[in-house]
Amino acid sequence: MDWYPLYNSLRIALISSVIVFFTGIFAAYYIAKLNRVVKGILDVILTLPLVLPPTVVGYFLLLLLGTKRPFGIWFLEHFGVKLVMTWYSGIFAAAVVAFPLMYRTARGAFESFDETLAYSGQTLGLGNAYIFWNIRMPACRQGILAGAVLAFARALGEYGATSMLAGYTPGRTATISTTVYQLWRTDNGVLAFQWVMVNVAISAAVLLTVNLLEQKNREKVKRADEKGGGTKGCRCR
Amino acid sequence: MKKQWAVMMATVLISGMVAGCGGKQEAPAESTTAKAETTAAETESTKAEEETTKVETEEAAGEQTELIVFAAASMTETLTEIADMYEEINPNVKIVYTFDSSGTLKTQIQEGADCDIFISAAQKQMNQLDSTADPSVNTEGLDFVLQGTRFNLVENKVVLAVPDDNPADIQNYEDLGTDKLSLICLGNDDVPVGAYSTEILTNLGIMEKLESESKITYGSNVKEVTTQVKEASVDCGIIYATDAFSAELTVVDEAEEGQCAQVIYPAAVLNISQNQEEAQTFLDFLTTDECAKVFESVGFSMAQ
Repeated sequence: MDWYPLYNSLRIALISSVIVFFTGIFAAYYIAKLNRVVKGILDVILTLPLVLPPTVVGYFLLLLLGTKRPFGIWFLEHFGVKLVMTWYSGIFAAAVVAFPLMYRTARGAFESFDETLAYSGQTLGLGNAYIFWNIRMPACRQGILAGAVLAFARALGEYGATSMLAGYTPGRTATISTTVYQLWRTDNGVLAFQWVMVNVAISAAVLLTVNLLEQKNREKVKRADEKGGGTKGCRCR
Repeated sequence: MKKQWAVMMATVLISGMVAGCGGKQEAPAESTTAKAETTAAETESTKAEEETTKVETEEAAGEQTELIVFAAASMTETLTEIADMYEEINPNVKIVYTFDSSGTLKTQIQEGADCDIFISAAQKQMNQLDSTADPSVNTEGLDFVLQGTRFNLVENKVVLAVPDDNPADIQNYEDLGTDKLSLICLGNDDVPVGAYSTEILTNLGIMEKLESESKITYGSNVKEVTTQVKEASVDCGIIYATDAFSAELTVVDEAEEGQCAQVIYPAAVLNISQNQEEAQTFLDFLTTDECAKVFESVGFSMAQ
């Protein structure tokens, strides 16, 4: 068994989740502060990839990044790099598709953050960056972690947009999902099944992680409740 | 407590979406977005239901015969044109096409898809469904072809096509073994054009080289290969003369006799068809001079 697809899938998923982790958090943070109308519009745009079929996302990305399309031409002219049919094309696809998961979960966490904590930080003369990284982020840690894990899982499982953007070149752009499809198409059911099991194992591990994170969280809350009787102090832990 | 709720809700909601399960979120939705999404999903499903009933009533009202034709992707343009011609003469018949790679279509037929007529881009896929074919080809012993209806419809040519301006300067099949080529798109083994391509490249002795250098990207039908070439995502692709013609692509080389097998498109009525007579009439129509003109206009030749 050639393990290239696993390596490529993991690499695409990891890089795109790192990208999505930061962009998702910052989008969530800044959008939560905007006025209702702008917030509503941006929210729809940023969440669309979650509900659109990946093939539609792939189509849009091709319209942007294809070798005969604006960005594609620009990159080809200035850097001599093709943005499609390469292994990193998978990152664009996976990042766009996984972004809403990170963004929405992070926003949910930020919205339920008790702003009085940030205000008390300000009264103590703390900078905004400090408050963000040392008060807001730890308080919302569980939600943000869950979002990151889900984004990673989604990126790992991306098929539609990836197959349109990166194609299927064995040893170059092949990911687990495109490999499974090709193997099935070419009547190689046995090998397809092995890859399916690999994928199931990884995804199950990811979901297990999410569940453990939540459980840990619940226990922590319970303990804090018992100790502090549910005062506000428990939230920032 | 509020925060944990929202986080858990979001996680549950989103993981539900990811898993593709349409389970309703009955929990007291704290975030309005969750509520909105559920309602949106509900309205959509009712809409879909309405549409289905509408389609059903329409079918019952008009006594139209629907002929389901599974045809090789390379026939998309010609057969679509022919369907318009045919429906004009026979208003009671509606031709419904599925165009994809012959291999995909064969699998779909095998998996129980409703289909009256199958037109494959190679004998292999038709043989796999024909009980009289050699068991070494029809390995699964499938019996879908209605005996006596199978015939060779048209012939095509396998060509090497390049994007506009030919950025990699590929001139012929031999160039594929040189450094000029960085990426070529082929159909996979299950796609007839992929099998023909493999044959050509193997005969030239460069198939293994291309594979080991990871210079091949695989499309799942000939139209996908054509699009990759058209979009210049690849340096070149091996497709049919007819697809190159329809997509207005530059053809730099054509497979000659001996480089690969003749590209014959067999057609047949399937024995699972509920409308075998109408299906046969349509197949007969395909061999008329009128249709021959359509086929030949894009580069097919009528099979002898």
